[in-house]
Amino acid sequence: MKMEDMSLSGLDNTKLEALAQDIYSDLVEDACLGLCFEVHRAVKQGYFFLDDTDQESMKDFEIVDQPGVDIFGQVYNQWKNKECVCPNCNRSIAASRFAPHLEKCLGMGRNSSRIANRRIASSNNMNNKSESDQEDNDDVNDNDWSYGSEKKAKKRKSDKVFLHSLKQHIPLNPNSPRRSKSVKHKNGELSNSVNADPYKYNYNTGINYETLGPDELRSLLTTQCGVISEHTKKMCTRSQRCPQHTDEQRRAVRVFLLGPSASSLPDADTMVESDCYDASDGQVLMSRLQWDGSSDISPSDSASSKASTNNSDSKKPKKKKKTSLGLNSTGGGGGGSGSGGGSSSQTSLVGLSNRKKKPKLPVPPAPSIYDNLN
Amino acid sequence: MSPAGCPHVNGFKVDNWKQNLRVIYQCFVWSGSAETRKRKKEEGGDPQPVALSRPLQAKSCICHMCGAHLNRLHSCLSCVFFGCFTKKHIHEHAKNKRHNLAIDLLYGGIYCFVCQDYIYDKDMEQIAKEEQRKAWKLQGVGEKYSTWEPTKRELELLRHNPKRRKITTNCTIGLRGLINLGNTCFMNCIVQALTHTPLLRDFFLSDRHKCEMQSNSCLVCEMSQLFQEFYSGHRSPHIPFRLLHLVWTHARHLAGYEQQDAHEFLIAALDVLHRHCKDDNGKKANNPNNCNCIIDQIFTGGLQSDVTCQVCHGVSTTIDPFWDISLDLPGSSTPFWPLSPGGDGSTLNGESHLSGATTLTDCLRRFTRPEHLGSSAKIKCSGCHSYQESTKQLTMKKLPIVACFHLKRFEHSAKLRRKIPTYVSFPLELDMTPFMASSKESRMNGQYQQSVDVFNNDNKYSLFAVVNHQGTLESGHYTTFIRQHKDQWFKCDDAVITKASIKDVLDSEGYLLFYHKQFLEYE
Repeated sequence: MKMEDMSLSGLDNTKLEALAQDIYSDLVEDACLGLCFEVHRAVKQGYFFLDDTDQESMKDFEIVDQPGVDIFGQVYNQWKNKECVCPNCNRSIAASRFAPHLEKCLGMGRNSSRIANRRIASSNNMNNKSESDQEDNDDVNDNDWSYGSEKKAKKRKSDKVFLHSLKQHIPLNPNSPRRSKSVKHKNGELSNSVNADPYKYNYNTGINYETLGPDELRSLLTTQCGVISEHTKKMCTRSQRCPQHTDEQRRAVRVFLLGPSASSLPDADTMVESDCYDASDGQVLMSRLQWDGSSDISPSDSASSKASTNNSDSKKPKKKKKTSLGLNSTGGGGGGSGSGGGSSSQTSLVGLSNRKKKPKLPVPPAPSIYDNLN
Repeated sequence: MSPAGCPHVNGFKVDNWKQNLRVIYQCFVWSGSAETRKRKKEEGGDPQPVALSRPLQAKSCICHMCGAHLNRLHSCLSCVFFGCFTKKHIHEHAKNKRHNLAIDLLYGGIYCFVCQDYIYDKDMEQIAKEEQRKAWKLQGVGEKYSTWEPTKRELELLRHNPKRRKITTNCTIGLRGLINLGNTCFMNCIVQALTHTPLLRDFFLSDRHKCEMQSNSCLVCEMSQLFQEFYSGHRSPHIPFRLLHLVWTHARHLAGYEQQDAHEFLIAALDVLHRHCKDDNGKKANNPNNCNCIIDQIFTGGLQSDVTCQVCHGVSTTIDPFWDISLDLPGSSTPFWPLSPGGDGSTLNGESHLSGATTLTDCLRRFTRPEHLGSSAKIKCSGCHSYQESTKQLTMKKLPIVACFHLKRFEHSAKLRRKIPTYVSFPLELDMTPFMASSKESRMNGQYQQSVDVFNNDNKYSLFAVVNHQGTLESGHYTTFIRQHKDQWFKCDDAVITKASIKDVLDSEGYLLFYHKQFLEYE
């Protein structure tokens, strides 16, 4: 086609169409030529074959689309025996149990801080006897509910009541999971600090005052109630403000053990507690303990009226159960009302900056009964 | 001499042959713009001969024998002669003058008439590449993408090892199951979505992450490793225990063996990746606006919030970054309908309104509606210098390359805790134009009926991953649908990957929806 100076204005539509068609086919031809050159070069330089793959590999990686098998042609559910090595402790763990293991291993779980605190306290304690009792069930492979099955069965019913209310707090709502968690955490932290005192819940050991020297007794009595039980002859290991015993009783014990000079109880305000322990918490603790012992007491029952000495008799290791379950019961209610409908679109739009402002609290305790249910 | 070259070039490679060749490339094959060439002439600093301007070039590049300017014009390398290839005019010239080499003016290939084939000489190709790069730069086209070419040694190795793993459309490479480590399906479903995000995949498979963290705890490195696992060709499911460990270490609020929310995990994971990526660029961690890490490039968008004072109509605008859009659903305790009047075309995204089902577009319209803030929430207006009632409206200022929509299915208010199972239909292709800040401006300027600009591809998105939740608020299970090749969808249920149909995907409830921009442009 010769190139001439052509005026397009004088042409009618068909001629214009024809011209356009010509230009179009020229462009297409040029494009095809480019592709030809690419292939030609690849062949001549010797790398054209690289694009090929062998038949065997093709078959190997072909997608399978049949019922009962996945795309690799494998049957479902054959992966039960997979194992992995924990990066923290270097032990070999079953893959499907890795998450609960890691939680304990990293000390992030509900129970882990209790266990850790207990360990710390036991290394500080004066009473060696209690140490051995605390060690059981504390190792990483613990079965959380290791006491007798009859106790387990008894517990189940009340477990369910508890667990159901707790389940609500599992954060599937991006809006306000933190609110419910935070209330729980507060309680959780309280329980942890309360647990910092290792003697509190070991009613099967208690403290035998006969084995302690005067110095030990003195320091013990600055932090604990210390009232000696008539039944077991052991000292109460709750705090100075334990509701089970009166101040009179406490004063009497101190006089009895340390002599008349040590008759004064430290001021309530200057108690050496690691965190504040209100009477209300005491009630909560009581309710939990009772719940441990029987199955038909609801968590909200008033504790002081039911204060009994049966707790010191019980031989069950109460360690794990205390998981602040009781605390959570009140916490649960609190959490429920606390987490309000932050469900307008504005608040949901958390930009990155908003997210960072949220209080990041550790994971709330939840019943470790799940650990065994797998 | 390269294997693809020929001995006949030696006759040409004498004297000032390189310069001559450059001239030919510059003038007749790849020429820059007319402007730049004129400027070069005026500056006079350039020792090279002035290239011809385009009209001149066009006029002079015709076959000396028949006058045609198409037909694969070639230029003789030894003298000034143009001849067309198709009509063999250049062949005649070569035979007559014994000028054995000619250059194709369209693509710059060198033809040898003795070998009767195009030849590829290393030195000459080098010159050609340089000239092309120069010309493209002048024209503002940028760098030409060149594919990898193996060296001689590499070719040899490859020839001896013919087994290949080629990714075709019917291939399982890139897909892999993930073992559930104990209620970790929320993590697995997000991992599946991320490993099938095309840009992220390309970033990691081309090894673009240069780690500057001292310890072994870089989550980006772990992510990179994850991609290697997915593309390894292994069929057994991967055990993401290291990933879990790293996430728990860096995002403590997520740690703990219990069921979690996938959306929370997504945000936390992006946050940690973003923080670790920042070390790459050497930017300060406290400067969120200046980060150019891959996470920001792909996931970060800008949400514009306009608060309009009802008295003076002054508008105060803020723009916040976001990684996802959380949308309220009908059936929640917050009212969904009615939407504000003057909404845009409801059939924009091809969703059916006949059945009355809520669509994703409905949710987006509600999200971007002007909302009257009420007398209890008066805002201090800087124009009025007092507290006034106002309306607030959200629009998209900048859309991310990957847009994640989060349907708020979990209601956690004081009165009730429940999952909202309302079916929301979502499209395969989504046009976000009506929700953009720019669209709102043009609406406010009086252009109520916006014609859909077919050629504006900036805001078109394609669905590539859907995360679903089955079960109740208390306990449930997450699965993901992901798109592998153009229209192939797969269902990822922890360790089991199966093929899924598009219908399966579109009929599913939908909790997290991932959309990818259809057209990407250079900045």
